[in-house]
Amino acid sequence: MTRWFSLAMLLLVLGALHAAATSTAQTVVAGNLVSGPHSDASVVAAVPNGAAVTVIERQGGWYHVRTTTGQDGWLPMTSIRYDATSSGAAAPGTDWASLFNSGRSGSGGTTASTGVRGLNTGDIANAKPDPAAVAELEDWAAKPGQAKDFAADVPLTAKPKIGYLAKVKP
Amino acid sequence: MKRRLAAFAIGLLIAAAPLAGAAEIHLDQIFNSIKQAFTPASQDEEIAIGRDAAATLLGASKPIDDAPVQKYVNKVGLWIALQSDRPDLPWHFAVVDSDDIDAFAAPGGYVFLTRGLLLHLHNEAELAGVLGHEISHVVLKHHLNALQKGARMDLAGQAAQVGMEAKGYNSDLDNQLMDKVSSATRTLYSKGLDKDDELDADRMGVVLAARAGYDPYGLLAVLQTLEATDPHSSSMQLLMATHPAPADRIAVLSEAMAAGNFDRFGGQAEAQERFEGVVKGLIAAAKKDKEAPASKK
Repeated sequence: MTRWFSLAMLLLVLGALHAAATSTAQTVVAGNLVSGPHSDASVVAAVPNGAAVTVIERQGGWYHVRTTTGQDGWLPMTSIRYDATSSGAAAPGTDWASLFNSGRSGSGGTTASTGVRGLNTGDIANAKPDPAAVAELEDWAAKPGQAKDFAADVPLTAKPKIGYLAKVKP
Repeated sequence: MKRRLAAFAIGLLIAAAPLAGAAEIHLDQIFNSIKQAFTPASQDEEIAIGRDAAATLLGASKPIDDAPVQKYVNKVGLWIALQSDRPDLPWHFAVVDSDDIDAFAAPGGYVFLTRGLLLHLHNEAELAGVLGHEISHVVLKHHLNALQKGARMDLAGQAAQVGMEAKGYNSDLDNQLMDKVSSATRTLYSKGLDKDDELDADRMGVVLAARAGYDPYGLLAVLQTLEATDPHSSSMQLLMATHPAPADRIAVLSEAMAAGNFDRFGGQAEAQERFEGVVKGLIAAAKKDKEAPASKK
């Protein structure tokens, strides 16, 4: 009973967060707000460098944004920078890390200092090999046939002919 | 370049040899070890080196105990690796038990990402970008070459030292080489690769994601998330110590993608629902663990 209740609560929280899944950013170059996520879309308005925008969604290399003056349109994704956060929940979408940590801390708070596991340069520099952990990886390994079926579920279509990208001189 | 290094190492030996007394240095042995350090590793050797490196990395952070999540990343990862020039490696993927943000690759097809990084992603296309980057490190043998280079440098220094000390040389240099490779693993993964290796892996990673049918802008989106995360926070310490700044990577990668007309692939799949289902399962399982703690944890 309590399990179903907590599951329902979790789903409610997930839903609420998902609904409010926009985020704030600033433009880092002056440019044009356009009517769709492609370079030949019509210009909606000019946007100066440093303008605050709300990011609604991403599609390919474009963000759907709203300006502080209420104009709606699309900007190339590299023309904005998300506002700094300590949690890293900058991009639009669900803040899974906070959900995970609040579930784990149980205090309902977002600061879960208990049980947080770090991994820093010192941990790597002093690591003791764990060959048994490597052997356990076999249990989870996929076979090519499974990976192909898994791709077909979406479906994901392989495009083997896409060529490698050339290095661009700065 | 390799030849010049070899000549340098051998030069050191020749310079040192007369001091030591030829009889006490097993020159054949040293030359053999040097030869070995300069010969490209076979695929079997690469996999063996990778297994040692993976054991060291998993010694620092264990895989999480969540089979659905682990099997999921293995399917996404293998599907992307199948689009690479090394589809036949024994690819292994795992999410490791850390809340900090990072991902690693080891020679022979080992790819790990932290739970902290997984929970900062928003869809499978972003995961594909991260895994594509790590797979590219393996395909391009970045860590393998760096480990071998480290071993060569140590060997050259050691050979000179052996000569300078003019003492009897009686230990097995081959075994020493093995030890050096294993300690080189800890050094390499706490200091990171060359900056160019990271930028090359970004550029190849988005191609592999695009070939796998994903929206290739997922990696740029992840880098923008990282860019907005406090670089001095503890969750970013390892990543920042071992990688170029996210803003630099974004600038270089976005230019290459624009030059390659990658806008064409912007409408490819994000597979957001499938990703969210898996992550919700991870969160629900962690919550359940907390309510009914396992007997030993």
